[in-house]
Amino acid sequence: MPTLLNAFLFAVLQVGGTSGPLQPDRPQPRTDSLKSRKLDEVVVTATRTERPMGALPMPVTVIGKQQIRQMGSLRLNDVLQEQTGLAIVTDHGQGVQIQGFAPEYTLILLDGEPLIGRTAGTLELNRLAVGNIRQIEIVKGPSSSLYGSEALAGVINIITDNAGSSGRRQTNASVSARYGANRTSDLAGDLGLRRGKIGVYAFANRYGSAGYDLSPETAGNTVSPFANYTFSGRVTADISSRLTLSVSGRSFSEKQENRYEATAGSVVAGPGMITDRNLNPVLTYRPNQHWKLTGRFYGSYYRTETDLRYQNDGKVYDQSFFDQRFNRPEVQIDHYLNRKHVLTLGLGYNAESVVATRYTDRQRFSNRYAYAQYEWLPNRRWNIIVGGRLDNHSQYASQFSPKASARFELSPTIALRGSTGVGFKAPDFRQLYLNFDNSVVGYSVFGTHELVNSLSRLQQLGQIAEVLTDPAQFSGIRAESSVAYNLGVTADLQTACKLPVTFSVNLFRNDIRDLIETRAVALKTNGQSVFSYVNLNRVFTQGAEFDGSYRITAGNGILKISAGYQFLLTGDKTVVAQIKRGEVYRRDPETLATQRVKPADYGGLYNRSKHMANIKLFYELPKQGLTVNLRGIYRGRYGFSDRNGNVILDAAPEYVPGYMLWNLSAGKTIKNLTVQAGIDNLFGQTNPQYIPNLAGRLWYTSLRWSLPALAKN
Amino acid sequence: MKRVHLSLAVCLFSAISFFSCTNDDNTPTVQPVQSQTVKNLAADPVTIDPQTGQPGAGTGKYTLFSLKDGQQIANSDSASSKWDIGFRGTTLIVNGGTIRSGQGGAYIHTGTFDELTSVPESVTFATDQSSSQLAIPTGSGKGWYNYANTIVSPIPGKVLILKTGDGKYAKLEVLSYYKDAPATPTATSESRYFTFRYVYQPDGSKKLN
Repeated sequence: MPTLLNAFLFAVLQVGGTSGPLQPDRPQPRTDSLKSRKLDEVVVTATRTERPMGALPMPVTVIGKQQIRQMGSLRLNDVLQEQTGLAIVTDHGQGVQIQGFAPEYTLILLDGEPLIGRTAGTLELNRLAVGNIRQIEIVKGPSSSLYGSEALAGVINIITDNAGSSGRRQTNASVSARYGANRTSDLAGDLGLRRGKIGVYAFANRYGSAGYDLSPETAGNTVSPFANYTFSGRVTADISSRLTLSVSGRSFSEKQENRYEATAGSVVAGPGMITDRNLNPVLTYRPNQHWKLTGRFYGSYYRTETDLRYQNDGKVYDQSFFDQRFNRPEVQIDHYLNRKHVLTLGLGYNAESVVATRYTDRQRFSNRYAYAQYEWLPNRRWNIIVGGRLDNHSQYASQFSPKASARFELSPTIALRGSTGVGFKAPDFRQLYLNFDNSVVGYSVFGTHELVNSLSRLQQLGQIAEVLTDPAQFSGIRAESSVAYNLGVTADLQTACKLPVTFSVNLFRNDIRDLIETRAVALKTNGQSVFSYVNLNRVFTQGAEFDGSYRITAGNGILKISAGYQFLLTGDKTVVAQIKRGEVYRRDPETLATQRVKPADYGGLYNRSKHMANIKLFYELPKQGLTVNLRGIYRGRYGFSDRNGNVILDAAPEYVPGYMLWNLSAGKTIKNLTVQAGIDNLFGQTNPQYIPNLAGRLWYTSLRWSLPALAKN
Repeated sequence: MKRVHLSLAVCLFSAISFFSCTNDDNTPTVQPVQSQTVKNLAADPVTIDPQTGQPGAGTGKYTLFSLKDGQQIANSDSASSKWDIGFRGTTLIVNGGTIRSGQGGAYIHTGTFDELTSVPESVTFATDQSSSQLAIPTGSGKGWYNYANTIVSPIPGKVLILKTGDGKYAKLEVLSYYKDAPATPTATSESRYFTFRYVYQPDGSKKLN
């Protein structure tokens, strides 16, 4: 059993021989031991260099291909919702909440490059097929010191598959088909060819569903029918022994047939289209063991189109488009001084633009940045990483995001780790440039840079009854930022106690300032308001996360039991202080009686569960090719909206009740064929009013044919 | 308005019976002033066009109210000290200041209605200086209400301490902005119907219960 340090050094030195920056070889032959599997999993997200997961000083979760397959997951949200401390929340799409942060504060990467196309801050996770994923890496806590904006709560990096290791002759292929409830179907295929210096990997997927309806009394479905296509691929070429080129690309397109009740009695219908494309060439040069130079370019394009019309007269309800582009050249230098020092330097430039119905012109952003990270391994027990990144943006003040973290091996059984860092999220296009008059309801929303002009336009039209706040106050919008602390213990009882048990505990605290919120600027003559964005609140999230696993031999098979739990407290600091001073009251909606709110009544921020937990049982009979698993996911009650006039969460009727989901799946492999069947949400849990993305009981069955690798590693 | 008249009639009736009781009493003691509740006082309601969902134009007139009489005062008496508070949509006016005729004013107190037993010495009354500078500020979170998710909700713990048109003291708490004070008003609830309770001190003292 290698020690962590050895595993670490091995991975560091291995870097010189891998095929691409993101797909390192596994440094060891696989063994059945849980420990070696866990520790040897190579992670790139936490440091932007390949590292064995066990040696990292920050909380990292890795979800491998095999687990994703056994769970029967199809889309990224399916995978993430079962992970400890992660909650899938809906706000203009399904996004992920990490350490109590809303989805807009988690950076989602595809092979290290950011995915674009967020609606109201949420990146729809359903857009991402998981069939071509090699592993998903989740780093909790801020990583703005490496990635800049959005990496406040954490980073999720999707590492896609490739064509196998360099210099070999290898062929992989698979085809799978799945059908299930709600006429949901999924067809996927992939092909990996490696011929010496050239590797080609291709993936194609069609995913479609007839949707479902949880509220038949209203017109239209809860989720409208849709179909989408994903094509992705990568070509890798070893130009010389020192120079490698990798070009990957992805194309996603979706069409949804919307139909719903816009206002009481009037139904609107029409198609909604989403297109999302990325291209990512990467050139890697390794002159010797000590240096690695990486040049990357990433271009991404995202477009949505909506054409909704009233069904009775065909008049336009919403005809709009949104078109976003993102381009980034970047260079990174990794210097392995010797076994004790690793230095990483990076330099890049982001150019972004948006043109859309709700924006006046094509709006542009640009951002120059540089980051540096130094990793020091003074002895066998310590691993210390310090780093920082400077972002120089065209539209707001420069940001410096430092981070420091350390890991200390107390004994071969127990390690301590801690990190502190600064994260930030820049004001997005919407917050700066939105120019939107809602013609149906009558309100207006303007980005801070549009506000002064747009408000005077409305004033000239005689639509403004009263200006509530001086619009000049909105001009100096700042980035939202946080300071975070993570402190944890990891333990592996295999060596010391001969127990196949691992567990980890992580305590976290995030102090966020300058949270951007909407605020009414003026009242319109039609009784509606004009809104803009302003830095308002200071909030905190803190809690504890526990993860544990136990692996036992049961009969001829192996049973792995794992459990996770997150305790979370959140709050708005101003509200907490006001309650302490006895200045916050509530009015019982039935009796209309007013009462003072006590500190214990405050439930913190909306949509955060104090308790979340999961339990998973994976049973495997390797000889029979049989797998069965049962996963239970609990989300405790969380605040939904105010019901007693004081805007804050402080009373039982303001919560959505907690719920438990049970997912069951079983599979049998005979030679090249795998049959799988499963039921998600076994007990048919639904809550149409508050959790529309909970579809009820879903059965499925799938068939998969795969051609194993000709040359096994 | 029928509902308002009915509840006002009940209020007046209870007030009359209250006074008749004190008249029978031989030993005069200071009796607490009664809290009155007014329901569904229309504050220039507007009808919503079902086609567009847009509210139509209102009359633009304030509903003027006398706390002493517990009833509405005609707009023709707006330039008198007969009325104490006026309602139009979310805008509340008082009968005092450069643009008014009375001696009124207002102060927004934070606390519960019941705990406010007298006008605190520190209170300074604001008056209506102009249509954009009112004693009770307009806007969400600034005066008596919050506006969120298309719903106007009176801020709990905000009690208006009022000086009436004729210089007496009163306290008033708005309870609902919607007709019949629904527990969970929605965007389609009929708005601009005030339910509020108040205590009016007729003897000119600052004692409020």
